[in-house]
Amino acid sequence: MLGLALLSMIMMLADSRFNYLDQVRFYASYLVTPLHWLADTPRSISDSVNNNLQSRSYLIGENQRLKEQLLTQQYRLQKLEHLEAENDRLNELLNASSIVDERGVLAQVTGESPDPFIKRVLINAGSTDGVYIGQPVLDAFGLLGQVVEVEPYSSWVLLITDPQHLTPVQVNRNGNRAIASGTQDSLHRLTLNNISDTFDIVTGDVLVTSGFGGRFPAGYPVGVVTSVLHDPGEPFATVSVEPTAQLDRSRNVLLVFRGDAE
Amino acid sequence: MAVKFSKHHGGWIIFATFAVAALFTVFPLPQWLESYRPEWVALVVIYWVMALPDRVGLFTAWIAGFFLDVLEGSLLGLNALALALVAYLALSLYQRMRMFTAIQQSSTILILVGIHQLLSFWVLTANNQNTAPNLIFMISALSSAVIWPFIFLGLRYLRRNFHVA
Repeated sequence: MLGLALLSMIMMLADSRFNYLDQVRFYASYLVTPLHWLADTPRSISDSVNNNLQSRSYLIGENQRLKEQLLTQQYRLQKLEHLEAENDRLNELLNASSIVDERGVLAQVTGESPDPFIKRVLINAGSTDGVYIGQPVLDAFGLLGQVVEVEPYSSWVLLITDPQHLTPVQVNRNGNRAIASGTQDSLHRLTLNNISDTFDIVTGDVLVTSGFGGRFPAGYPVGVVTSVLHDPGEPFATVSVEPTAQLDRSRNVLLVFRGDAE
Repeated sequence: MAVKFSKHHGGWIIFATFAVAALFTVFPLPQWLESYRPEWVALVVIYWVMALPDRVGLFTAWIAGFFLDVLEGSLLGLNALALALVAYLALSLYQRMRMFTAIQQSSTILILVGIHQLLSFWVLTANNQNTAPNLIFMISALSSAVIWPFIFLGLRYLRRNFHVA
């Protein structure tokens, strides 16, 4: 018992403080990944059944809606391309480095952490797809989190609402910067740390990533401020933020690759 | 009846029960049910230690915990340590536990899985990873105790049916 206890303690120390055991975990995960696939089969079966059993009229309607959506998006994209080019030119005038190109790779959420207090999800892309630790993960509505562990065919994503996760953000309206951290109580709440009472922030402000720290590219939506509380007895204001990403509902997520990296 | 030279057989049944327990551990559950998820692997460890203490012991429990750590993506060695401790306690209790009534067994399970949970959370706290807001995580010890009689009967049926020894 003592020997095994000692061994586990040394392993935990090595795992939490150093990276010695990443290889061990990497190869051991070849053996356990099938279990994750198995655990996800009910969901993927129901997905495929749903896909196959849609009525014709529903599909026609959906097709119509998607076409309209595509049209409006393309219209916006044209404007965006123009703006991007203009922005690039202005940046060049200012001698700033040009903005890095980003592209996304689609992945699916196949599981979540069995521990209810650790907000992590499993996605079905791993090192064989070029996923790396620290990679930002988005869904259609905003920032979801970042990759914290990579296995051959899957990886773990720490959600932005985990209490251990901090996201550098800025207020879209005025560019004020802050740090958003997850909360213990809820999956759907972020708070801003150390916000002084004079900080210009109001309910309804949109927060986007600030790009500080170099982990998340700047400009992705993070959340919307739901309440700002100024308590004279507290040194800082209490700011609640609701994440825009659908943290518990997103099935399809986007892994962001930078430029030519792969 | 095939004659076997090894006195052990049915090892694949033991392996299969561990695999199924691990599957149940990561099976997606609704958010409100998540806290009530029993510690399946710990229950399976306790059962096999009780039934075959000469075969399943600390080492098996530790290996199972190691792969559970990889599966859950948790701190490597966390479940290994907790399950080895559970197996150690079960090894010292198995003779008594075999004589217990269902209620007494369940109360023992409550304590064993409770120790398992406390140890895991102590370690996580020491590593600054403990994010549980309160003692709600102890609920799974209760649900493990409640489900134990069924696990016990099911695994005993498997063991007898497949002559695992």
